Amino acid sequence: MAPSHLAFLVLAVPAASAGFIALFLRRQGGLASAVSVLAALAVAAGAGWLSLHGPRFEASREWLRLGGLTVSFGINFDDLAALMLAIVALVGLCVHVFSLGYMRDDEAKARYFGGLSIFMFSMIGIVLADNLFMMFIFWELVGFSSWLLINHWYERPSAAAAAKKAFIVNRVGDFGFLLGIILCYHLRGTVNLTDLAAQASSGAAPFSRAIPLLLFCGAVGKSAQLPLQVWLPDAMEGPSPVSALIHAATMVAAGIYMLCRIQVLMVNPALTVIMWVGTATALYAALCAIVQSDIKRVLAYSTLSQLGYMVAAFGMGTYFQPQADGSYHTASGVSAAMFHLTTHACFKALLFLGAGSVIYGCHHEQDIFKMGGLAGRMKLTFVTFTIGVAAIIGFPFLAGFFSKDAILALAFSSNRAVFALLALTAILTAFYMVRLWKIVFFGATRSEAAAHAHEGGGVLTGPLVVLGALSVVAGWRRFYPAAFAGILNNVPEAEGRAHGIVLGVSLTVLLIGAGAAWAFYGVSGPDALELRAPGLFRALGALQQCFDRCYGWYVAKVQQRLAMALNFLDVIGLSGLVVRGTAGLAGLAGLGVRALHVGRINAYVYWFLGGVALLWLFAAGIL
Amino acid sequence: MGQFLFSFFAVFSALCAAGVVVCKNVVNAAMCLLLCLLGVAALFIRLDAFLLAFLLLLVYAGAVVALFLFIVMLLDTRGQEAPQARRGLTVAPRVVAIALVGAGIASLALRGRLVAPAAAAVPAVGASLKAYAYLLFTTYLLPVEIISFLLLIAMLGVIVLSRREGEHSGYGN
Amino acid sequence: MLPETLNSYVLLSAVLFGVGFLGVLVRRNTLVIYMCLELMLVASTLALVAFSRFNGTMEGNVFVFFILTVAAAEVAVGLAIVVALFRRTQTVRVDRLDSLKN
Repeated sequence: MAPSHLAFLVLAVPAASAGFIALFLRRQGGLASAVSVLAALAVAAGAGWLSLHGPRFEASREWLRLGGLTVSFGINFDDLAALMLAIVALVGLCVHVFSLGYMRDDEAKARYFGGLSIFMFSMIGIVLADNLFMMFIFWELVGFSSWLLINHWYERPSAAAAAKKAFIVNRVGDFGFLLGIILCYHLRGTVNLTDLAAQASSGAAPFSRAIPLLLFCGAVGKSAQLPLQVWLPDAMEGPSPVSALIHAATMVAAGIYMLCRIQVLMVNPALTVIMWVGTATALYAALCAIVQSDIKRVLAYSTLSQLGYMVAAFGMGTYFQPQADGSYHTASGVSAAMFHLTTHACFKALLFLGAGSVIYGCHHEQDIFKMGGLAGRMKLTFVTFTIGVAAIIGFPFLAGFFSKDAILALAFSSNRAVFALLALTAILTAFYMVRLWKIVFFGATRSEAAAHAHEGGGVLTGPLVVLGALSVVAGWRRFYPAAFAGILNNVPEAEGRAHGIVLGVSLTVLLIGAGAAWAFYGVSGPDALELRAPGLFRALGALQQCFDRCYGWYVAKVQQRLAMALNFLDVIGLSGLVVRGTAGLAGLAGLGVRALHVGRINAYVYWFLGGVALLWLFAAGIL
Repeated sequence: MGQFLFSFFAVFSALCAAGVVVCKNVVNAAMCLLLCLLGVAALFIRLDAFLLAFLLLLVYAGAVVALFLFIVMLLDTRGQEAPQARRGLTVAPRVVAIALVGAGIASLALRGRLVAPAAAAVPAVGASLKAYAYLLFTTYLLPVEIISFLLLIAMLGVIVLSRREGEHSGYGN
Repeated sequence: MLPETLNSYVLLSAVLFGVGFLGVLVRRNTLVIYMCLELMLVASTLALVAFSRFNGTMEGNVFVFFILTVAAAEVAVGLAIVVALFRRTQTVRVDRLDSLKN
C-alpha cells in the first residue's frame, strides 16, 4: 500500500472508531474501550512503520475552491511530522491501555473512549497537515476533544467550568491564529507550508512581523504560555490519563509543533518576543508550582514550565537559513525544542500516569498532604515515578538531562539573561519536583486512604514501565533511529569551555534544588513553606491567582457589560424592531385592509368612485 | 324648433333623473325614472333613432319599470324607510361624492371639445328600419344569437332564484 | 337655448350618468339603487346613439339594441335576487346587508 494511503488510514482509523462508538456503542462501555484501544494499536503500528521505514512524501487533494482561494486537504510527511507522529502514537497507545484500568469502574466509558479516539484523530490531523487552513481545522477539533474529555465528569460544576474555560481561552489564542493565517494568505498568497518554504528560500517573501506573531498567538493559547496559561491547571479536572495524553504530551505540544512547522515565516523581532514569552512562562509556572498541594496541579505547572523551555529554545535558535538548493537546514532552535518535546512527552506522560496510579491506589485522593509513605505500598509506581522525577530535574544520563542541557547551551550562546533565568527555573523545577516526590512517597502515611493504597494491576503498571524505560533512553540520541536524524541532527551542544560551564551549571542547579527541597520539607505535617515563611507562601499563591483575578475582573466588569449592551440591542433592536416590527407592519397592513371590508355595498361603491376619480384625473391629464 | 325641443327634453331628463335620486318614496322614484325615460326617448327621436326610441319605451319603460313597481309592491318596505339617527359619516361622503361627480362633469364641459359636423350635414342612417334589420341579421348575427341565449339563461336563473326554500327539488337535498 | 351639437348630447349623457352614480352612492334602498343603475345604462345608450348619429355610422345604434336586451335580462335576475334576499333577511336596506363584514 502506498505510504500516502497508509498515512490517510492512520488518520481515518481513530475517526472511524469514534464514529462507530458514538453511533452504536453508547451504552457498551467495555466494547467501546476495546474498539478504541484496537484503533490506537492500529495507529501505533501504522505510525511506527511510516516513521521508521516509510519514505517522506507529500500528497494533497483539493477540497474547496472559493474564487481565488483554494483549501486543500493534504499530508506533508517530512521528518518533523514523522517524529511527532511517532510520539503521539506511542504515548497515545500507552494512555489508552492505562485508561482500560483506570476507567474500569466508570459509568461513561464509551463517551470517554470515543473522546480519546476523536482526540487521536484530531492530533494526527494537526501533525500531518500540509497547509495552515487544514491545521487550523484540526486545531479546533483538538480543542473540542479537550473540552469533551475535561468535561468527562460533567456533573461536577468545577469540571464543567474548567472545560469551558479551556475552550474559551484557547479560542482567544485561535483568534490570533486565524488572523495570522488570513494575513499570511493575503501577503504571501498561499498557506501551503511547502510553498511558503519555497518562497522563503528564493528570497521573494515580503518581510512581515505580524504574521509570525499572530500565528504564535495560537501557540500561546494551545501551549498555555503567558498570558493564556490559566486554563491548564484547571484542566486537571479531567481524568488522569486525559491529563497525561492531552495536557502533557501531545495537545499542548501541538503549539510547539506548529511553531516548528512555520519556522520559515520567522523573523528576528518575532523570535525575540517568542523567546521572552517562553522564558517568562517557564519562570512563572515554576514559582507557582512550589505552593500547590494537588498532585496533578504540581504536574500541570511543571508542564507549563517545560513548555516555556521549549518555546524559549525555539525563539533563541531559529534563524532560517535557506540553502542554495532550495532546501533548508533545520535550525538549532527547532531541533532543541523538538528534542525536549520528545523527552518531555515521555517523562511527563510517565509522571501523570504515575500520579493516576497513585490517585487510583489512594481511592481518588489527590491532595499530597493526605498521601505519604507510598514507597513501600506501591513499589512499581514508586520506581517509575522516581525515574520520571529524575528525568525532569535533569539527573545525569536520563532523558531530561540531555534535552535541558541542549537548551541551556543554546541560551548560553545566544542570550545570557535568558540563560540565567532558565537556570533559576531549573533550580525551582528540581525544588518542587523533589518536594512532591518526598511528600507523596516518603514518611508515614497521612490518611486512611493512603494507608490502604495498593497497585492497580498490570494494565495500570504496564504503560508505566514502558514509559519509564523510554524516559531513560530517550536522551541518548544515538539510540534514535536514523529516520529522525533530519530533525535531531542539529541539537545544539556547547563546545569547549562553554560545554564545561553549561554542564557545571546544570549539575549545580540540580543539586541546589533537590538538596534544598529534601532538607526543607518534612515528611509529615503541613507544607513547610507555609509554616515557616507564610508571607512568601501567600505571595506565591497570589502570583498564581493574579491572572485569574485579572481575567475575572475583566469578564465581570467589561465583557459582561458589553454583552448586556449587545443583548439589549439584540432584544430591542433586532428582535423587537426588525423582526417583530416587520411582522407588526404586516399585521397593521392587514388590519388596515381588513377595515375596508365593511360588508356594506355603499362603502364599496365609494371606493369605486375613488377609482373612477383617479382614472378621470389620469384621463384629464391632471395626473 | 328642433333646438328648443332638444333643450326642453334635455333639461326635463336631467330634472327627472335628479328626482329619482332625491325622492324618498320608492314609487315616486320609479315614476321619475319613467319620466326620465320618456325624455330620453324623445331625444332618441331627435337623433333619428326611431326604432330605439320605441324599444326604449316598450322594453325599459314598459317592462323594466313595471317590473320594478311589481317588486316594490311585493316587498313591504314601508316600515323600513323610517329615518334613523344620522351617523356622522353620511354628510361628508355625500359632499365628497357630489364634489367628485360635479368636478368630472365640469371638466368634461370645460375641456371636452368633440369635433363633429352638424346634424343636418350627416345622413341619418339609423332612421331606416330596413338597414337596421339587415345589419342585425348579417354582420351582427352572432351577438343576436348570444343575446337570445343570455335571455334564456336569465329566465332559468330567475326561476331557480325565486324558489321558496324547503321546496322539493329534483336534485338532492 | 342649448346648442344641439354632439358636445351637448355627450354632456347631457355625462350629467345623467353622474346623477345615476350619485344615486347609487347615497341611497340606501336596494331597489332605488337598482333604478339608478338603470339610469346610468340609459345615459350610456344616449351617448352611443349621439355618436352614431353625428358620425353617420350604424354601429352605435346596434350596440344600443344589445344594451337594452342585456339590461332587461339583468333587471330580471337582479330583482329575483333582491326578492330572495328579502325573504331571507326581511330587509332591502343596503346598510343592513353587511354580513360580509370582515
